[in-house]
Amino acid sequence: MKFSCNWLRELVPGLDLSPRDLTRLITMKTAECEGVEPFAPWLEAVVAARVLSAEPMEGSHNLKAVVDAGPEYGTRTVVCGAPNCRPGLLTAFVPPGVTIAAGKHIRSVVIQGVESQGMLASGAELGLNRDSAGVLELDGVEPGSPLPGCPVDHIIEVDNKSLTHRPDLWGHLGMAREVAAITSLRLADPVRGDLIPSGAPAWQVDIRDFELCPRYSALVFENVTVGPSPLWLQARLEALGLNPISNIVDVTNYVMAELAEPMHAFDADLLHGNTIIVRRAEEGEEFAALNGESYRLSPSNLVIADQRGAVALAGVIGGAGSAIRPATTRIVLESANFEPANIRRTSAALKLRTDASMRFEKAQDPVNTVRALARAVELFRIVSPGIRLAGGLVDSWRQAPPPPPIELDLEWLERRLGRPIGKEEVRRILESLSFRVEEPRPQVFQVGVPSWRATKDISIREDLLEEIGRMVGYDTVPPVAPLMPVRRPWVNEERLFHHSVRQMAAAQGFTEVSNYSFISEEMAARFGFTPDEHLRVSNPISSEQTLLRKSLLPGIHKNISDNARFYGEFRLFEIGNEIHKREGRQLPLEAPHLMAAIYTRGDGSAALFELKRLAECLLPGCEARPAEARPYEHPARAGEIAWRGKTLGRLFELHPRLVEQGRAAILDLDLADIFALGPLPRKYVPLRRFPTSEFDLSVVAGLRVHCAEIGARIRDAAGALCERVQYLYSYQGKPLPEDRQSLTYRVTLGAPDHTLSSDEVGTVRRNIIAALEAAGFGIRQ
Amino acid sequence: MLDSTLSDIEARALSAIEAASDAAALERARVEFLGRKGALAQIGKDLGKLSPEERARAGKLLNSVKQLLEERFDKKQTWFEEQALRARLDAEWLDITLPAPGVRPGALHPLTQIQKELEDLFTSLGFAVVDGPEVETEWHNFDALNIPPAHPARDAQDTFWLENGCLLRTHTSPVQVRAMERFGAPLRIIAPGRVFRNEEVDASHEHTFYQLEGMMIDRDVSIGHMLYFMKTLLEAIFRREVTVRLRPGFFPFVEPGFELDIQCLLCGGSGCPVCKQSGWVELLPCGLVHPNVLRAGGIDPREWNGFAFGLGLTRLVMMRYAIDDIRLLQSGDLRFLEQF
Ligand SMILES: [Zn+2]
Repeated sequence: MKFSCNWLRELVPGLDLSPRDLTRLITMKTAECEGVEPFAPWLEAVVAARVLSAEPMEGSHNLKAVVDAGPEYGTRTVVCGAPNCRPGLLTAFVPPGVTIAAGKHIRSVVIQGVESQGMLASGAELGLNRDSAGVLELDGVEPGSPLPGCPVDHIIEVDNKSLTHRPDLWGHLGMAREVAAITSLRLADPVRGDLIPSGAPAWQVDIRDFELCPRYSALVFENVTVGPSPLWLQARLEALGLNPISNIVDVTNYVMAELAEPMHAFDADLLHGNTIIVRRAEEGEEFAALNGESYRLSPSNLVIADQRGAVALAGVIGGAGSAIRPATTRIVLESANFEPANIRRTSAALKLRTDASMRFEKAQDPVNTVRALARAVELFRIVSPGIRLAGGLVDSWRQAPPPPPIELDLEWLERRLGRPIGKEEVRRILESLSFRVEEPRPQVFQVGVPSWRATKDISIREDLLEEIGRMVGYDTVPPVAPLMPVRRPWVNEERLFHHSVRQMAAAQGFTEVSNYSFISEEMAARFGFTPDEHLRVSNPISSEQTLLRKSLLPGIHKNISDNARFYGEFRLFEIGNEIHKREGRQLPLEAPHLMAAIYTRGDGSAALFELKRLAECLLPGCEARPAEARPYEHPARAGEIAWRGKTLGRLFELHPRLVEQGRAAILDLDLADIFALGPLPRKYVPLRRFPTSEFDLSVVAGLRVHCAEIGARIRDAAGALCERVQYLYSYQGKPLPEDRQSLTYRVTLGAPDHTLSSDEVGTVRRNIIAALEAAGFGIRQ
Repeated sequence: MLDSTLSDIEARALSAIEAASDAAALERARVEFLGRKGALAQIGKDLGKLSPEERARAGKLLNSVKQLLEERFDKKQTWFEEQALRARLDAEWLDITLPAPGVRPGALHPLTQIQKELEDLFTSLGFAVVDGPEVETEWHNFDALNIPPAHPARDAQDTFWLENGCLLRTHTSPVQVRAMERFGAPLRIIAPGRVFRNEEVDASHEHTFYQLEGMMIDRDVSIGHMLYFMKTLLEAIFRREVTVRLRPGFFPFVEPGFELDIQCLLCGGSGCPVCKQSGWVELLPCGLVHPNVLRAGGIDPREWNGFAFGLGLTRLVMMRYAIDDIRLLQSGDLRFLEQF
């Protein structure tokens, strides 16, 4: 939302602050200003000039004009191409050295042998309107004086988000009221209520849905002349980024920019019948809007209709069929109030945001409709001389009971604010913002809320706390540590666990990455995931974001491909949530996983075991068990990680067809499952008092036998005396046959109460050998 | 006669010690003079032939020579041992500038680091660190936070909607409600985490970023209390005194609502591109918790009140390390991540 400093000064007489200071005060007390920019600063140098002569120049459409530019610039010769340049014309002269709209810099130049000592400018070239058909046509000023009604202005841009709750600040008067309160100046209300005519209305209004349209007011005018607005009005709209169209439309926009009340003017002769009907649209009802588009409506949309059909989409946009045209002589001027949520839904559904819808969705004040009409009457008389009111005010509304006053306990106020504040100061602030203050009990105010703040903004005492707090300035509140009982906070063990896993992975050489929660269908397909198993995004911006990841793998895979361009070997990991969809509208299961990866250019086996070691750091004593490979896993290098009787994740090499060059080993652990197991129970075992005995055994087995399987058989066969079975090394080659290998284990035995005899050790050894031979293994002597 | 023999032996022995060039030569000399069959042992045997008086005197003399020589031999031997040790150790010279074997330690993501830092800070102030789901219900993300359907404030948060009617949380604020539901009042929590906005990605916009939500509910919590925590937080983050200003800001879940700005740390308030020439950087939206939000969380606003704030962690990380492209944080690019 843009605010003109000149306009604010008109509404707050005596306001004497620089645009920059004003901007800072508004930011600190009311709403966030994004900046302040001068509007058309070149107007400082532009003057009115009278064309004394204008001669055609041979071979072009240009004219050589001599102008009287007043005492400062004197008589100048300029080359001008405008068709309306003629002797006697009073227009705008831009001296050389000035930069005007669109960065156009004016210099003295020689054109076709004529030195042009400046320029005659159109409204568009000066940024005052959109008219570039010819140079400006002025009247009523002397050559050399500034352009009438167009002083240099400053425009404050306020962040719309910070106005969401303030319907009144969508017009200059609302902001002026704030400025007046901040500066302790008086607000000059521009509305003259006495301009509203009494008597029988010339038009009727029939509101069929008071929920959606609490109030509809209108006036009918006749003897209207449609034409361009005066320059000052065009310039003011242009300064705010509103497009000047015609005097009638411009006045409605001007009043909207001033009072925050959007209005609409219908050509009364293009309406059928003389009743305005406010109703829900019919299913499929077609509506041709002013913007040239056609919309198919539904009963959730509210329309303004005549006997034939919709003539406006209520609170959003007018219709093409009843718009003001050059020939218009009678108008119906609408000033209504609409229910905000419905306006917002309509505007969102039709993707049609207008200056009107933006205001109505903030909950405008129903009291304001007639005030806006009164203001429009005054302005119409200026821009369309001879205009007449036809009949009295058309006004239909279902008045809601006024909101109850808010009880404000001054002691509560001080406690919340965190500083003392005098009763009189509270009253002064509230009254400067037009609240009505009474004190029915000592130290308790009854605060009446002005209608323009009561629609949505202010209804509870906390809202009043904000009014007072911002006006006294929050910088007057001292920071104070609260006094309260010591309580040990709840400890988020799971989060701490994740942090410890991160620390450990980093210490082991892995760098943490963070990947998106989204994947594309194409990514899912690459890993053999079914897209429909994923939770789907309904409104993705790009195809990269259509599904929510149910594995960290696609992201990690991308990290591997990306980084392989720069590194021959690297380690990385991510801790993030897998998202698994559940039935119906339930929240999905979010399962935190650790995925670690090692990329190498070697054969990849060392990487797999390094990841196994990472798993062991986290899960002391965990096992890697062979398991059937998934489609994205190397078919002969895949397994699962088990710990304390539970399968907790996978250890695998990525299928080589998924890695362009080199190998990638992956460890994937379900951190929720691991956390659920709790810390490993530890129990002290007394140290052995008697020495242990050990012997080595070399077991001959097939090439694809699992080391852990033989170890387990040895342990089982060793019985109660077994302290430890440790794999040492394996051997292939002579004298073993080609399809055999030997695996050597060290067996340690011991007893708690005596030193083992050689007989005892020999028995265990024989038992182990017998068991292994029974299972088909040989023993290498 | 004996005296002169002894002094002769002493002189010869001392010169042999002197002359010994290695431990073996010294040992040979020791055997020659102090050995069981050495020169002094030989004289000892002869003592028996002397008169008792003579024997006593000569024995004393012999002992003193023996003691002196033993001392000298030991001393020289020690010297040889030290020499030998020194030589051996010198031969063990290592080039410690060689790189350590094995894998270099990895790095933690800067967002992890800042989260941990802030979690530790708030834990020390008596706050619990809580988590909430990344996929949220519309109710928790909006309605419970006093943002009913068709509220214009929903515009400010472009939302990823999901096929099952849920959404990706647009802020960490829904954790306020979940924490109230779970713990009730009094309450002191922070909730760091990942949030999502449905917008195009460029150097300064991301659809995925991190926030830290904070909330305190107790009896009679004031704006002054909130300011105390905000200042403490910022000074811990920036490790220096910071100048802050509090101005009105609109967020439906707080009333009153504020924007807390810090004076630009780059230009000190005089204006620069980082602060868009204003001298201030918007950092911490905060406010007193709206009674409707307390009610949504099952807490009676007549008894309890509190403050809440939201801190953009991604933004903070970018400020701290002067990172100029937000996309790097989610890029997985090790050339970037290894810097932290
Ligand atoms: Zn700065």
